[in-house]
Amino acid sequence: MKIWQFTEQAYYPAFQVPGAMRVTLPQHHCEPEQAGRLLNRYLDEYMLADELGLNIMVNEHHAAATCMSTSCMTTLAILARQTSKARLLALGIPLANRSNPLRVAEEIAMVDCISGGRLEVGFVKGAAYELFMSNRQPTGFMDRFWEAHDLIIEALTNQGDNFTWEGEHFHYRTASMWPRPIQQPHPPLWMTASSASSARQYGRRGDVCATFLSGAVASSVFAGYREAYVEAHGHQPSQDKLAYLALVACADDRETAFKRAEAMKSYFTTAARLDPQFRNPLGFNPVEANIRMLQAGANAMRPRMRNGQPLPVDGSIEEYMDAGLFFVGTPDDVYEQLVRFHAETGGFGNLLMMAQAGELDHKDTVDNLTLVAREVAPRLAELPDMPLEVRYEAVG
Amino acid sequence: MLTEILEELRFGTLSKLDVLGTEIEMFQAGEGDPLLFLHGTDGLEGSGAALEALAREFTVYAPSHPGFGGSGRPQRLNRVDDLGYFYLDLLDRLSLRSPVVVGTSFGAWVAAETLTKEPARASHLVMASPLGLPTADRREQHVADIFMLSRQELGRRMQVGDPLPGSDMATLAAMPEPQLRRLMRNDEAASLYGWTPYMSNPKLADRLHRIAVPSLVLWGADDAIVSQRYRDDWAKALPQATFETVADAGHRIHADQPQNLAARIAAFAAA
Repeated sequence: MKIWQFTEQAYYPAFQVPGAMRVTLPQHHCEPEQAGRLLNRYLDEYMLADELGLNIMVNEHHAAATCMSTSCMTTLAILARQTSKARLLALGIPLANRSNPLRVAEEIAMVDCISGGRLEVGFVKGAAYELFMSNRQPTGFMDRFWEAHDLIIEALTNQGDNFTWEGEHFHYRTASMWPRPIQQPHPPLWMTASSASSARQYGRRGDVCATFLSGAVASSVFAGYREAYVEAHGHQPSQDKLAYLALVACADDRETAFKRAEAMKSYFTTAARLDPQFRNPLGFNPVEANIRMLQAGANAMRPRMRNGQPLPVDGSIEEYMDAGLFFVGTPDDVYEQLVRFHAETGGFGNLLMMAQAGELDHKDTVDNLTLVAREVAPRLAELPDMPLEVRYEAVG
Repeated sequence: MLTEILEELRFGTLSKLDVLGTEIEMFQAGEGDPLLFLHGTDGLEGSGAALEALAREFTVYAPSHPGFGGSGRPQRLNRVDDLGYFYLDLLDRLSLRSPVVVGTSFGAWVAAETLTKEPARASHLVMASPLGLPTADRREQHVADIFMLSRQELGRRMQVGDPLPGSDMATLAAMPEPQLRRLMRNDEAASLYGWTPYMSNPKLADRLHRIAVPSLVLWGADDAIVSQRYRDDWAKALPQATFETVADAGHRIHADQPQNLAARIAAFAAA
């Protein structure tokens, strides 16, 4: 299993401001020198991850104290130059919120070149509330996503002459990539899924499929992916096609590990602080999806604990661990918890690890990252590529 | 009967009408001169009382706009400018030469787009709480952004009387699926036509001079959606119209004052 360090790069001093953390939080609560110090601190931690042999994932959000990275590719442009070994994953670029997909392709190619071909690229639907900042049309969102996707792939893979593009949503007189990306046909592509049905389409395409903080649902996401992958490609996908995102708090002793987990927990509670009208802009979700969501009720999308109950947003660390969103303890504990979750979900080859989240400070983050890299990662790298029962079947 | 899914319209018939390959939901009731009623962002829902009052004087035609309620929509029809052409086709389909055209809120914008394209296509135009002109000037907003309000808050602000039942999340979630589907389609269509530029066509003001039929613009005295500045903009953009204020009415005048609205429309059409 490969490990990817990820932090949302929160401006956590604002967590004390009452009310919403996204869209409506007044910008005067941001003190820019403090923001600069924090952003540099998070970059230092990414550089440490590189030195420790871990990989790197960045994301982006807008108008949010919970995430100051407003552009995946801006953050990765810095890390492309300042790291040497790590794979660099953008997960992801909210394609349908971008007005200029050719510019997205250009940024991908440029960062791939600077990094010497270490870039991996995720295209995401993105959080619904981002529409209030991009102000792109909510209706037809996924049509626009796929046209932007197709155009970017055409641009990255093009080895012939420049081309023109006259689509439904995008129009270019000439697409000409200077520079072209180093990785051909294009950097590895990632997608995100939270259900088996969305995972199936990525399985057919053979993209890497990641699921975020979904707990037990990860099993069905991965199963849907594998099933569609086998149908389309005639063989099982390797585990590096699947990824799971969770928080990890590791320390030499359990007491310290749980203290770290408590400092990270505000990641979950602040993510929930958003006024309801921004969660689902009119026209964003298809009509039938909106009907199903309303009928299913507010708790339907919450991850479940082992007893089947929805995980409360302000749940305890133990409840978050029980639901498979948090791995906490000594290196041995974290390893054992991950091995168990890995087996329960049928196996995945990438752990997208938030070793920094919420208010966890630099010193604790450095220790957390170092312990995972030195004492957990080498053992996880040895995990068999196939789940045990599948291996025995193959032998028998 | 299609009106089973829209109880408030039981006094008339709700049927499907093919307009050049697009199936439109059309409500019809009453007898008299023809009147085309163009609904607002919340669809035909909540229009029953006003339509019933109008049906005592007119033959009322009240379609759901393409994409709203139970109406289909051609894939590329996505601007209110397009709806203007669509309604000219619909009038041809119904063989209506020059009906009274009544629009409320978003529907008044649709009416204006239609009549700027064929100015003689109505006998009279009545616009209640019209949208369609630019709703802001850079940082200065003249119309509340319905997409930034919670469902409950928007429901409260649309009229002085009781909000539509779908404004309450628990009531909404418990609705029978056919009714719920209509509301979700209304929401989606409001977003399709009105997200950006917000509820307006920047070119509309330059075209309004073409409207040559007697025109009446009504504002609710207690409209909590549009500002005085926006009403002034309409008065400047349509100097040939009569402007009046309806007492004890919010943005949805047809819901707050259905009898008074119908009586005023009938008197205006008879003058």
